[in-house]
Amino acid sequence: MKKIAAIAWKDVRSTVRNVPALVMMLVAPLALAALLGFAFGGGASFEIAATRVAVANGDTGSPGSPTAAGCMVAGLLESPDLSDVLRVRRVADAAAARKAVDDGDVAVAVVIPADFSRVVFGDDPDATSEVELYENPTSEIGGSIVEGVVGQVLADLNGARAAAAGAVALRSDRAGDPPAARVAAAAAETFSRGGGTASALRITQRAPRVGKTENEVSVTGAVLAGMMVFFMFFGAANVARTILTEDRDGTLPRLFTTPTRHGTIIAGKFVSVFLTVLLQAVVLLIAGRLIFGIHWGRIDAVALLTLAAAGVAGGLALLIISFTRNAAQAGAVGSGIYLVLALLGGNFTGSAQTSGVFAVVQRLTPNGWLIRGWDATLRGGGAGDIRWQLLVTLGFAAAFFVLAVLRMRRRFA
Amino acid sequence: MSIVEVRDLRKQYDPPKGVLAVDGVSFAIAEGEIFSLLGPNGAGKSTTISMLSCLLKPTGGDAVIGGHSIIRDPQAVKEIIGVVPQDVALYPDMSARENLLFWGRMYGLSGDGLKTRVDEVLELIALVDRQKDRIEKYSGGMKRRVNIGVALLHKPRVLYLDEPTVGIDPQSRRSILDGILALRDQGMTILYTTHYMAEAQELSDRIGIVDHGKMIALGTHEELVRIVGEQARVAARVDRDLDGMVARWRETPGVEQADLEGNEAILLTEDADEVLPRLFEAAAAAGSRITEINVSEPNLEMVFLHLTGRALRE
Repeated sequence: MKKIAAIAWKDVRSTVRNVPALVMMLVAPLALAALLGFAFGGGASFEIAATRVAVANGDTGSPGSPTAAGCMVAGLLESPDLSDVLRVRRVADAAAARKAVDDGDVAVAVVIPADFSRVVFGDDPDATSEVELYENPTSEIGGSIVEGVVGQVLADLNGARAAAAGAVALRSDRAGDPPAARVAAAAAETFSRGGGTASALRITQRAPRVGKTENEVSVTGAVLAGMMVFFMFFGAANVARTILTEDRDGTLPRLFTTPTRHGTIIAGKFVSVFLTVLLQAVVLLIAGRLIFGIHWGRIDAVALLTLAAAGVAGGLALLIISFTRNAAQAGAVGSGIYLVLALLGGNFTGSAQTSGVFAVVQRLTPNGWLIRGWDATLRGGGAGDIRWQLLVTLGFAAAFFVLAVLRMRRRFA
Repeated sequence: MSIVEVRDLRKQYDPPKGVLAVDGVSFAIAEGEIFSLLGPNGAGKSTTISMLSCLLKPTGGDAVIGGHSIIRDPQAVKEIIGVVPQDVALYPDMSARENLLFWGRMYGLSGDGLKTRVDEVLELIALVDRQKDRIEKYSGGMKRRVNIGVALLHKPRVLYLDEPTVGIDPQSRRSILDGILALRDQGMTILYTTHYMAEAQELSDRIGIVDHGKMIALGTHEELVRIVGEQARVAARVDRDLDGMVARWRETPGVEQADLEGNEAILLTEDADEVLPRLFEAAAAAGSRITEINVSEPNLEMVFLHLTGRALRE
């Protein structure tokens, strides 16, 4: 363990003394974030791409009622006021709606049950009906918007049911129409007895989601998160390349002549890469807070995302190193890979609100999952809200590490 | 008692058709001995050192260092050897002290013991005053000294030095050679590779001459030069009548053989110091002037030439 620490400390110290590397790791992402934030207005003017929604309205209506409550829900989702944030299309049934989500065509499906109007307009005070929200687990923002809209409609309908129930109860107690104030009081009492806003009509959710208290995300914050992830990959590559430069300069073979096991030497290198990138991320997070006033989000989510990012950046860097012959080749190949991953993962777009093919492709990259994780965290999500992003990122990291170790053990045997 | 025993060591890169870099080399080194592997570049010296350092796996044979096989117990071998690679293998952005501390940890030293040993080594390599300067600011000779110092940190029983004086100034070379002799006097066993005949001759208790991966001769300096005989070879040129001079020199006392080879006379003698004045006297008597004269005492260069037909530096 002491030898691993000695190797890691030696490499971290070398990186810290390497001014060009520090500029690349720390100054470049901050400068780019500042420039892009300035170019796009900075502040909290973050623009959200419209979320695609599929609505399956199975509501068959209620006898004696001219209006189907399901149409009210669907209509509100399709209202022009929400057109800039929601892009709604109708589908035939619940299965089609869910399939649209599974295929990545839409982010959220709203399934209105057949008995919806019967419960809303019916006499049975104990009847319940559930509107299902089936959503892509990575589409936190879209899910929250849809939930807010549907929840508001259901709350209104629950309120109306409560008011009607109160009025009926008053009329049966006394002759003549009761005054409005008494009806309102009775309605409120009925409503509260029913358990709050979702007494008869409820929402069921089929996927994890971000908390309801979302923060607005500044352009600078979103861009710096993307730049930080992007440059963490380069930072990791810089340190990992020391394996190849040490091989060239003879210090790695010399290490192998000491009574230090090969596994210990490689582990020391792994730790140095991880620690350097972690240090880079911490500096960028603090700088982002102090210079740009970015509220990164809850500490648990920020810490876990940072660790996961350091892990996957280190793993990928080592994997690339294990397959390249020299530092120059590693630099060229690595830069290409990082750039492609950044383009596909959304590092430069600064937003996780993607859909369609791009959303699918984004999910094939560790960058994409990290960007989505940062997007959710910047909006106030906690560790639980980004568990999928963390798990998938750590999965990428583990896979990269295992492949790198296997390759290096063979190469330096 | 041998501390190093090399038995039929072989290394072929990319077998079965690859280059056979080391071809059945065998030798033994006694404790406290300086043993040199002498040979031209590409002879297989460094490959042999790499195998004995457990860096390369042999494709045949074995070597036992301090009772441990390099194949079966490389970790134990690494505990008792110190390796000075041919090229300086240090971290240039770290100071000499930082380098020594780091490498000391790699040899398992720690705490006050490590700091004390680093101080001792800095004294030994005479870099106490410059210990905090980064290696990249050092001269070639200073780097070489640190390069050697690293290998001494854990007080190895056997020290391998792979051409440690290549590319440095005469003063630094002298300093390194003196240091090696001092280490031998302290009881350290040294395996030294070089293509400098003079170094091998000065340092070594025994010398192994290698060429094309094979050990072509092995023994003390005296034993090796005996291979080419004990006569000195004198090559001389005169300004006129070379044929006549060769005939006169043939009759000169002490000259055992005199022949004409091209435009110079080649003489063989048991004692060049005694014969040389007589050669000049004979030339003066004949009215000739010696314009060039070279005396070759029997040496390792001649041994190599005799055994391979090529000069050592080719």
